[in-house]
Amino acid sequence: MITEKMRDVAKDLLTKGEVNMVIGWEKGTFWYNSTPVFITKAEDVERLVFDEFCTNNLAKYLLDYKTAEGKVAIFVKGCDARAVNRLMQDQQVQRDKVYLLGIPCGGMKEAAPGTQPQATEGLPLVEKCQNCTSPNPVVFDVLLGDQVSVRDTQNRFAAVEKLEALGTDEKYAYWGEMFDKCIRCYACRNVCPACSCRECAFDGNGLNWLGKQNNLQENQMFNITRAMHVAGRCIECGECERVCPMDLPLMAINRKVIKDLNELFGAYEAGMDVENRPPLGQFKLEDPEKFM
Amino acid sequence: MRKVGVFVCHCGSNIAGTVDVEKVAQEAAKFPNVVFATDYKYMCSEPGQQVIKDAIKEHNLDRVVVASCSPRMHEPTFRRCIQTGGLNPYLLEMANIREHCSWVHPDKAKGTVKAIDLVRKAAAKVVKNEPLQKSSINITKRALVIGGGIAGIQVALDIADAGFPVTIVEKEPTIGGRMAQIDKTFPTLDCSACILTPKMVDAAQHPNIEIISYAEVDKVEGYVGNFDITIRKKARSVDMNKCTGCGTCWEKCPTKVDSEFDMQLGKRKAIYTPFPQAVPNKPVIDREHCLKFKTGKCGICEKVCPTGAVDFTMEDELITQQYGAIVVATGFDQFDHSVYGEYGYGKYPDVITGLHFERLVNASGPTMGKIKRPSDHKVPETVVFIKCVGSRDEAKGKTYCSRTCCMYTAKHATLMAEKVKGSKSYIFYMDVRTPGKGYEEFYKRTQGEYGAQYIRGRVSKVYPKGDKLVVRGEDSLLGRPVEIEADMVVLASAMVARSDAGDLARTLGISYDKDNFFTEAHPKLRPVETHTAGVFLAGACQGPKDIPDSVAQAGAAAAKAIGLLAKSQMETEATVSQVDESRCSGCLLCKSICPYKAIDVKIIAERVGGKTVERQVASVNKSLCQGCGACTVACRAGSLNLLGFTNEQILAEVEAVCL
Repeated sequence: MITEKMRDVAKDLLTKGEVNMVIGWEKGTFWYNSTPVFITKAEDVERLVFDEFCTNNLAKYLLDYKTAEGKVAIFVKGCDARAVNRLMQDQQVQRDKVYLLGIPCGGMKEAAPGTQPQATEGLPLVEKCQNCTSPNPVVFDVLLGDQVSVRDTQNRFAAVEKLEALGTDEKYAYWGEMFDKCIRCYACRNVCPACSCRECAFDGNGLNWLGKQNNLQENQMFNITRAMHVAGRCIECGECERVCPMDLPLMAINRKVIKDLNELFGAYEAGMDVENRPPLGQFKLEDPEKFM
Repeated sequence: MRKVGVFVCHCGSNIAGTVDVEKVAQEAAKFPNVVFATDYKYMCSEPGQQVIKDAIKEHNLDRVVVASCSPRMHEPTFRRCIQTGGLNPYLLEMANIREHCSWVHPDKAKGTVKAIDLVRKAAAKVVKNEPLQKSSINITKRALVIGGGIAGIQVALDIADAGFPVTIVEKEPTIGGRMAQIDKTFPTLDCSACILTPKMVDAAQHPNIEIISYAEVDKVEGYVGNFDITIRKKARSVDMNKCTGCGTCWEKCPTKVDSEFDMQLGKRKAIYTPFPQAVPNKPVIDREHCLKFKTGKCGICEKVCPTGAVDFTMEDELITQQYGAIVVATGFDQFDHSVYGEYGYGKYPDVITGLHFERLVNASGPTMGKIKRPSDHKVPETVVFIKCVGSRDEAKGKTYCSRTCCMYTAKHATLMAEKVKGSKSYIFYMDVRTPGKGYEEFYKRTQGEYGAQYIRGRVSKVYPKGDKLVVRGEDSLLGRPVEIEADMVVLASAMVARSDAGDLARTLGISYDKDNFFTEAHPKLRPVETHTAGVFLAGACQGPKDIPDSVAQAGAAAAKAIGLLAKSQMETEATVSQVDESRCSGCLLCKSICPYKAIDVKIIAERVGGKTVERQVASVNKSLCQGCGACTVACRAGSLNLLGFTNEQILAEVEAVCL
């Protein structure tokens, strides 16, 4: 049972003083919620759980402890581990300041809000897990549990291809309808492990790249800019889409960019390691653009 | 409020012909912050510049917009102008209403509207311009010349004579380049070696010149005035300090290899110097063919060497040295005519190129100067020369004219007539181009005195018949087919860029054209400079050139390099990238994207929650930064800004045009 192992290893780390905090999940208000928890005392480790509802990507919380003394231990599923790599490549997290507890992940599930507890076997996988390319952590100090096999991911770009098939006007109408709904709460940005700027380009009070009005035009500008800012850096954890209160299909945009980058610059999966720079984040002598 | 002056140039009729310049000035006067606007026939001329200076004084201008040509052309001119007028030179903006407007739009009404828009944009930007200062860097007073052909040698001699140390890096074991392969030079028929080898010796003996042959430039770091160059000295297998060049080794070496210098028409040994007058006259071992390296046996050269200079264990050596200026003089290759089926795809041994002919006619060549055809060493009596092989051929070859072929083909025909009495030369040509001193006269002599028969037309087929080659073509002046039974066919193959020119260009950070020739900074006014400061061009690496042109360009490149090295300090561009440390998260995406390695990490300390914490931010080296702006677009937070092209300035332009 992963939960038991989690508690054991967390207790051990905290007791020995190897880490000052363990970031994991605990049972939430509802049976279908498992929410992030920050354990600093060995006696609290019993709160830790791992089940099919630990959907939250925990990696971004590491930013909150950037300047903290000592190490922080964090449980990482496949996507969380890639997010840690993302943050390490962006030089926001130092490898020797974190202790990574890897958990191979069979995919997260969701239940309709308000329903009574039921067997999780019958529940559907959440969207982000359906075409997950890396269920096993790509970086860890210890691995809890056995590696799991990768699900068939051939439908990874199905939603993108469906949208690509639309005519220009239809596409514009579709995205117009979507972005019209956007309330610019910036939850997508705040949860995104690729967004680690000290001050976001959208927040500046100097230059108004983006107007503050909530209208279609500015919403489009925001969403397109955000897609470009994470281009080649998105690790497909799907957190932006999960947290969007307006249910915008944000991963369709991100996956479209991933698909285009793969076609233009060769296959690249962000966050699989720290060394391979994103396709738009490096200068190469053999760059096909001769003007460089 | 800013006080902007707008100055609209007619450029004679270049702009005024398609743009109503008076109207542009009238409209510009209505833009926000513009307090003065006028037009003038030639803004760049002295009276034109005076108009600007007077207006600065009279109207108390603090920003200037010049609406004229491309800033590439006259931005430095107008910067100097407003500087003498009392303003910081960076308080200038240029609206390019010539290249971007009058030259590309035939419709005057629409052109005028666009010109007004371009001026509006510049006026909006200039308001946001800030005074910028140049910084200065020290200059390393040493020049690197890449390539030791006639161009490289001339550059090195000129720079060295001016008193600066020069290093020539030559890929081959000897300097001399293509000119050493050539027999006679047109139009005077001087012996090429007789005028080249003394220069090679001069270079070797010059106290300021260091020749590193059998070496290549591995890495270029740094920037104008301070290039850090890593030179790879290829393993020569011969100790240059011990070797006396006595030649015992290559006499005794049992392995014969086709000589590259003799265009595969002759043989050399596995330990060799390319030709007897080589400089340095010390051999290298060709490890690909040497028995010792292939089989581990032999080692004769080592045994016979009286000074023990042969060293089979020698490895490539990397040396790093600082240079202030670089001159690229890497020369050319010959077009590979095997794409032409009609000339036999390079299959017939007696279809040769001009350079092969040079070796055949050369007294120190494989035939001792007796013209013998490669297949059976028979003296050819009828020779067909085909010009424009690979040149001026959009379908299979290069679009450009190789410039030298008309003359060297005339020279070859002359040499044929002189060396083989009673021989006959036929020359198939598209045009005869002889612009050069004494060139036309030479061509006329070839035709008249030496009896070469010029046939205007293309050759459709060359095929063997017995021991002859039948050349079938068309005489387009007579409008009828011709067929000539020739003993040998000489192709005037195009000069093409070196196959590795693109790699070298990227190593140096210079640009190259569609044919891989290096690009000069301006085709007319900056013909030997590149867009990378401190890197100059000489000879055929920039485009096809004959010897006089290469030497002239070499002198020009040397003058530019000397001009740079003569200063002890130089100013750097003020339009460099700047980091807003308060916003920088230190992700260093900019560092990995910078083509000039101008960005590095810097640790700063700041107070957070009552504690002093350290964090990393990006830091721009102003001397290395070329202001390309790649980092500013990579930075998501916008913490990088390119001075002179700041986000605020660009946005002001966009708003001026779009809102």
